[in-house]
Amino acid sequence: MWLQVRLSEVCLFLQAMFTLACCFSDMESGPIATSGSVQPNGDRFKIEGRAIVPGVKTQDWISSARVTVEGEEYIGFLRTDGSFVVNDVPSGSYVVEVISPGYKFEAVRVDITSKGKMRARLVNFIKTSEVIRQPYPLQLRSSGPHTYFMKRETWGWTDFLMNPMVMMMVLPLLIIVLLPKVVNTNDPEMRKEMEQSMNMLNPNPELPDVSEFMTKLFSGSKSSSSKAGQDEGNRMDEDEDEGTEVFTKRKLESNWDRYKESEKDGPSDDTPTQRGTDYHVLLESAGKEYMTCSFEMA
Amino acid sequence: MYKSTSLFVIFLSLFVVSEAVFEDQVGKFDWRQQYVGKTLFAHFDSHSQTSKKLFLATDKNIFASFNSRTGDLFWRHVDKAGPEGAIDILLLHGQDALMVVGDGRLLRSWDTNMGGLNWEAVLDTGSFQAACFVAIQDTVKHLAVLKNAAISLHYLTNGHQKWVENLPDRDTVQYQAVYSGGEEEIYVLGVVPNSHLTIIAYSLEDGEIIKQHYSISVTAVLMCVSGIRAVCVCSLDLEVSPGFQPVLVSSQPHPARSPISEFFLQLGPHHHVLLQLNGDGYTIAPLRDFQPAFLVSFATTGEKTVAAVMTPKNETACAINLFSADSGRRLLDTTVIFPLDLNGGKPHKLYVHAFLKKDDSVGYRVLVQTQDHALTFIQQPGTHTDTGTYTQTLERTHRHWNVHTDTGTYTQTLERTHRHWNVHTDTGTYTQTLERTHRHWNVHTDTGTSTFTLSASLLDIMGKSKKISQDLRKKFVVLHKSGSSLGLFGIDSKSGSILWKHYLENVQPNAVFKLIVQRTTAHFPHPPQCTLLIKDKDTGLASLHVFNPIFGRKSHIALPVLPRPILQSLLLPVIDQDYAKVLLLVDDQYKVTAFPSTKNVLQQLQEMASSIFFYLVRSDQGNLSGFRLRKDLSTERIWEVVLPTDVQKIVAVNGKRPNEHVHSQGRVMGDRSVLYKYLNPNLLAVVTESTDTHPERAFVGMFLVDGVTGRIIHEAVQRKARGPVHFVHSENWVVVSSSCCSLATVVVVVVVVEATHHIYLYRNSKYFFLKVGLPSGAILSLPKMFLDPRRPEVVTEHSREENLIPYAPEMPIRTEWFINYNQTVLRVKGIYTAPSGLESTCLVVAYGLDIYQTRVYPSKQFDVLKDDYDYVLISSVLFALFFATMISKRLAQVKLLNRAWR
Repeated sequence: MWLQVRLSEVCLFLQAMFTLACCFSDMESGPIATSGSVQPNGDRFKIEGRAIVPGVKTQDWISSARVTVEGEEYIGFLRTDGSFVVNDVPSGSYVVEVISPGYKFEAVRVDITSKGKMRARLVNFIKTSEVIRQPYPLQLRSSGPHTYFMKRETWGWTDFLMNPMVMMMVLPLLIIVLLPKVVNTNDPEMRKEMEQSMNMLNPNPELPDVSEFMTKLFSGSKSSSSKAGQDEGNRMDEDEDEGTEVFTKRKLESNWDRYKESEKDGPSDDTPTQRGTDYHVLLESAGKEYMTCSFEMA
Repeated sequence: MYKSTSLFVIFLSLFVVSEAVFEDQVGKFDWRQQYVGKTLFAHFDSHSQTSKKLFLATDKNIFASFNSRTGDLFWRHVDKAGPEGAIDILLLHGQDALMVVGDGRLLRSWDTNMGGLNWEAVLDTGSFQAACFVAIQDTVKHLAVLKNAAISLHYLTNGHQKWVENLPDRDTVQYQAVYSGGEEEIYVLGVVPNSHLTIIAYSLEDGEIIKQHYSISVTAVLMCVSGIRAVCVCSLDLEVSPGFQPVLVSSQPHPARSPISEFFLQLGPHHHVLLQLNGDGYTIAPLRDFQPAFLVSFATTGEKTVAAVMTPKNETACAINLFSADSGRRLLDTTVIFPLDLNGGKPHKLYVHAFLKKDDSVGYRVLVQTQDHALTFIQQPGTHTDTGTYTQTLERTHRHWNVHTDTGTYTQTLERTHRHWNVHTDTGTYTQTLERTHRHWNVHTDTGTSTFTLSASLLDIMGKSKKISQDLRKKFVVLHKSGSSLGLFGIDSKSGSILWKHYLENVQPNAVFKLIVQRTTAHFPHPPQCTLLIKDKDTGLASLHVFNPIFGRKSHIALPVLPRPILQSLLLPVIDQDYAKVLLLVDDQYKVTAFPSTKNVLQQLQEMASSIFFYLVRSDQGNLSGFRLRKDLSTERIWEVVLPTDVQKIVAVNGKRPNEHVHSQGRVMGDRSVLYKYLNPNLLAVVTESTDTHPERAFVGMFLVDGVTGRIIHEAVQRKARGPVHFVHSENWVVVSSSCCSLATVVVVVVVVEATHHIYLYRNSKYFFLKVGLPSGAILSLPKMFLDPRRPEVVTEHSREENLIPYAPEMPIRTEWFINYNQTVLRVKGIYTAPSGLESTCLVVAYGLDIYQTRVYPSKQFDVLKDDYDYVLISSVLFALFFATMISKRLAQVKLLNRAWR
């Protein structure tokens, strides 16, 4: 009996406790007001920071800018002094960006722990765990206006002159025109000097000179071509045709043979002296050509 | 290693052909129209007399400032889309605009002068009911915010909360209004339906309840509350139109003073009554009856309060008149005519800005919002001499602030049930061995924009744009849905001006649309023909609207009767004798209706029936099935693919563009062999999303299905990815983008190629560019080169010869690639491209919140002179040469003469 009473008492007590607990819980959920702004938002936090565009007044750019967190998941707007707050953000890791059509800003990753601790670091999409700390509250400094436009190619004298084609044309022309005036070929001393330099270049007098060889080649080919023309009848009407005939491979070979023949004949004559005088004649008559030739070789 | 490759990529990307803009091209052939949405709240800047500012809050969660004289946008702030960014109320006080956002989530104060934020405060939970300014001794210092369960008072200077109080009996009472008349009290009005009203007076200082008043009311009466008393309006002999909920329009010119004692009561759609509360505060007397009257509004300037009433004048115009509020007398010379556009909507709302003229009479400006969401600003004539013209121009700019298409959503929804068709000419030729080259790679962004979303890109041209002539000028049709009316707009691609508009009434709110071009302008004298398929999403019943896209006129063509729900529509390349392409509509019994259905067409269809295939997608069943047309226009099922719905669901199915032109059949590899593209015109790309949304287990799947045989040619799965999925299917490649766990967007590229043949083929320089909409509003023109699955990790001789960029997991995004430079298009829904009359030029239209149109030159302008072509230099050189010859000729003559004399 006593036990029963006791039990019912306990029950009552428990019930009372329960109602009390209910009251308390009610108390907690009821007056939202008293607990202030922290409670209803629970585990919601705010991301704070400041964006600066150096050298630009805030009113010139803030009206077109906004702060996005994780794409468009959360959006904040810039205050008149450039600072911003993004409210109502739960804990997690977010990429915070200031998006402005005019100015560039670097994105920052902000980590919020479940207790509300904040950390800002550089964004790295490949190594997401890499931490390079950034100041928090965020300090975002614009690196200048966006470069949306390509530069037009402008026409300038330097571009024109530095063109390789133009250089190839202009420089030889300059040399042809100017060098003979600079170097006086009629001066005997100068001529001697030149002779010496030529000898230096051509140490072996036995070896045939290039220019001489060329002249011989031309005259020889001419004769050969005339021969060919005779052989083949009346096909050679124009000089141009002759030229093409001359420079075919086969004809060249034959020319080499001819040259060898002349070489064989050579030693009987007094060739070195003969050659020397020939050369001087050549030099006098076509000094300019010689000069260009040497330049190109150099 | 990674660093160096990425550097290399950036270095290489400098030399990649890019569609960049030159600075002098700005605005030359591109235009942007910025829109804001449907106006919810509008305020004139009454801070100073000469202010030209107009503030709007819209249903697109935009707070914008306009120049009221020209309609130009000063600035706008675009908040998050959806209910979280919804603007509940906009109040204006001096230079500050107060705004409650997201059903009472945030309280914001804006500096309207600079367009920046003053402060932002987080409000307590609870759904928002009302807000009002609270003034003490003629200065407004606080804002009271009423929620369904609590009332709070905030300082205007910093948003801090002064006090917050719970409302009594909040389970039974619906609190609806909050009011302050400049005294030390704040009144809250609550209603218990079918029972009584509750009025509670709070102390401004500490939020204590001073008074509480209940008024027992009879059922269904109209109550008017003044101060703490409630006055019954039902005593008056007023008759409310049956089925109409009466609306009360009152005005409180200044929060520090009590509202004016006159108010409007709307008794019917076109019936308003001006009533006056008598001085004793107990009785109400009618001042004037307005019938018919469309809209009424109060406006106050100085000490005078006027009422503006819009009355119908004739079929095409409305008249707006001013009435003195305290007497109900009409003011002389205040009539303004508002032209009613028969094609446009009816007037919906009236905003009046009154001001005192020099002679102390009241002048006013009105902003009329029509049902098509357009705003028209009208100034009273006489104040300016050029009013007439300027209202006109303003109308042009303002008329369609939110012409935006709903096509983005419609492709999403329509695709789920059906889309696209297949016409196959030769089956079974693609049985050659297939070599599948595919690799998945993650694309991340480097700087700037980190969410790399392929918002929509190159999907297809569709019926959106059609040629008007063979030059660069085209016309495109924009659909805009507002309520039950669907607006069709013809827009000139050169200037962006609206050439015509047409409204279709009584369109179901959840209808989906498809725009089909049946005949282009190429078949003179037959007019071009466009067909709009409107389908009710619930019943599946469809209707057709056929119109001429050049003039917007409805074509008088016999339309087919569609008694059954429509599952699929397909446009065949078959043309009738009038050169209109044939549209086939498949109903739920798999019977086919042809439009136009002339004898000629039916005969052609019978001949071609065995080669006409189509497919149906049932997303809810995970079913993809292919059908073939029979000669009697019935169908037979030939294949079926079932994707179990418990694992994944079909998100989108896309075929290729029917008019796609493939320029090169293959690609030359480094070893002189040719990699042939697998160019099956019937290939379908099916994208699925996993039903499991856990970030670790979620995946996005992609199947390539032959639309004729039903064979699955390839399948790919991207793990740890989730929607929204965007993809492009063209030639032999599919690009699928989806968002990955850590924000970055993953792009998967699948290229299907056939076996290689060792033949030398010379290169064809056709460049592809993908248009990508970024969340920042930029439209990125991404060279297809970067989306090549064969990008090597280690550079070899061969890969260098093939111009392959070394692989890098991160995608470089350069601001030079933004084809819309700073003309951002926010919330991009779709991007359409269309070839133009010039081979080198493409037209691009991007739409979302705004519309942006530009031209792009994917392979540079090879067929026109560059726009920086130096005409002056060329002509001056020519002239100089000409004169030089003349002069030298003359000189030579002189010289010859001299020589002859010698």
